Amino acid sequence: MIRGLNSVMKRLLMTKSHLETPFYGKVVQGSKFTSEYAQYLKLPNGEVGSYFHDIPIDIDHKKHTVNMVVEVPRWSNAKFEISRDRAFNPIVQDNKNGKVRFVDNVFPAHGFIHNYGAIPQTWEDPTVVSAHEGVTGIKGDNDPLDCCEIGSAVLSMGDIKKVKVLGSLALIDQGELDWKVLVIDVNDPLATKVGNLNDVETYFPKLLGSTRSWFRNYKIPTGRPANEFAFNGQYKSVQETLEVIEECHASWVKLLEEDLTDKKLPQRQRAGGGVVFHPNELPDAPIPPEVGRWHYLKEN
Amino acid sequence: MVYTTRQIGAKNTLDYKVFIEENGKPVSSFHDIPLYADEANQIFNMVVEIPRWTNAKLEISKEERLNPIIQDTKKGKLRYVRNCFPHHGYIHNYGAFPQTWEDPSSVHPETKAAGDNDPLDVLEIGETIGYTGQVKQVKVLGVMALLDEGETDWKVIVIDVNDPLAAKLNDIEDVEKYFPGLLRATNEWFRIYKIPDGKPENQFAFSGEAKNKKYALDVIRECSEAWKDLVQGKAADAKDIELTNTTLTGTSLFAPSAADAIAPNEAKEDAPVDKSVDKWFFISGSA
Repeated sequence: MIRGLNSVMKRLLMTKSHLETPFYGKVVQGSKFTSEYAQYLKLPNGEVGSYFHDIPIDIDHKKHTVNMVVEVPRWSNAKFEISRDRAFNPIVQDNKNGKVRFVDNVFPAHGFIHNYGAIPQTWEDPTVVSAHEGVTGIKGDNDPLDCCEIGSAVLSMGDIKKVKVLGSLALIDQGELDWKVLVIDVNDPLATKVGNLNDVETYFPKLLGSTRSWFRNYKIPTGRPANEFAFNGQYKSVQETLEVIEECHASWVKLLEEDLTDKKLPQRQRAGGGVVFHPNELPDAPIPPEVGRWHYLKEN
Repeated sequence: MVYTTRQIGAKNTLDYKVFIEENGKPVSSFHDIPLYADEANQIFNMVVEIPRWTNAKLEISKEERLNPIIQDTKKGKLRYVRNCFPHHGYIHNYGAFPQTWEDPSSVHPETKAAGDNDPLDVLEIGETIGYTGQVKQVKVLGVMALLDEGETDWKVIVIDVNDPLAAKLNDIEDVEKYFPGLLRATNEWFRIYKIPDGKPENQFAFSGEAKNKKYALDVIRECSEAWKDLVQGKAADAKDIELTNTTLTGTSLFAPSAADAIAPNEAKEDAPVDKSVDKWFFISGSA
């Protein structure tokens, strides 16, 4: 009897959470792992939207939650990201001179060690220098805020997840400020137990240190120097991180409102015009075998 | 020699089998592939069972005729190795030396433990990800003596002769020089990999130190001798190992026609892997 009741309750709860999260779809064009590939957001009404601008940030200061757009599944290498320059900001694979980019595996890591993505409706403003102690004079990297989801499931590109904010690292990537916000999917079995950096160290021992090393070292195999961090590489707390998120959300509001003509700024086109894109997904291109290489650094 | 593979059934199912073929005909991956690819230069053949960064516990079958590679099961369920942070799946191309056997009736004088009744395990550390059923030519660099639930389970460390670093790697100390941290990670990996399943930490003989190339070559020779006894019916206890082969003319289970009974290639699309395999286990106190 109690068992039956439980399952009814569970189903009710599932329906409730399903209703809370609108069903987002996708429109895929081209072959994955080529520069022609693009995955667009499809809104519940069928029109195309922007992963950058049309997913609500949905920040909750009591529960410490925001929305996240997943760009790169854990343990994969292809550097997928929300496009800055293409209308409707599809997820595309970053490329350099037409050659698609994969992150190198730096021992002991395989690919990205988190489900990597972005917080929609945020923007690290490259037009103003920060006035904050520790990062004064540094400009934003012109992208939405990056986030690293640490839950046990491997997520998929384009997934929209409600995540709990746990802290952040202030990476300085080629002179630009590039926050990495640590989060966990609210539906992860450990989400209720993990609320701050201490909890992360308790339930995910060594992950904070490995995350810092990963971001410091990941460009070394391509001949670049180690990345640096503001605040001596110390993680910022949940409260401080929520303030950063609010600030980047305010920058995003400004980005959309202001009359900007700088071509280097992100595309601002968003849903509302009823534009419909048709899928034209082609088979995946092969991943080059050198992406399977493990790079060993002497400092390890 | 050019070897190919014959796949039957979809990967991640109980039907999955990979046979190694020579001239298009299945041979025994345990008994027919020669241990030495080039004995004068100490180059060995290795059979790849598990590609690096994957989880399915694939191994040469001891029971099935011509010893295809199949996925290990427990209580009828497919076995996958757990991911123990910071590792993802197996961290080497994992496989075995053909024509070797760790004799369970023989107790090793130094590890004081009996063999695990399997072909000798091999860890290939080169940069290219291998594939199930691949026959690689490898150079031996050293060996670690895992004591897995009380049995000796040698792990021979090798590198593919075609790897860009192969010429620079000649003995165990070169591994630390060119792959800093790998031996320590290997030690940790084997110690902790069964902890998520509720088993205790594994132990290593020799305080976890890897032995050098000379020691490894001796271990290979011993296991090669044990296999010769096995295949000639001289082993103290052959443990019902399937000995049918297509090349060893002097053996009682020499049967070249065995290949004809194997089903044709039918490579199917991989079956999906259960999502639980993706979980990362964080083990506190691991090195």
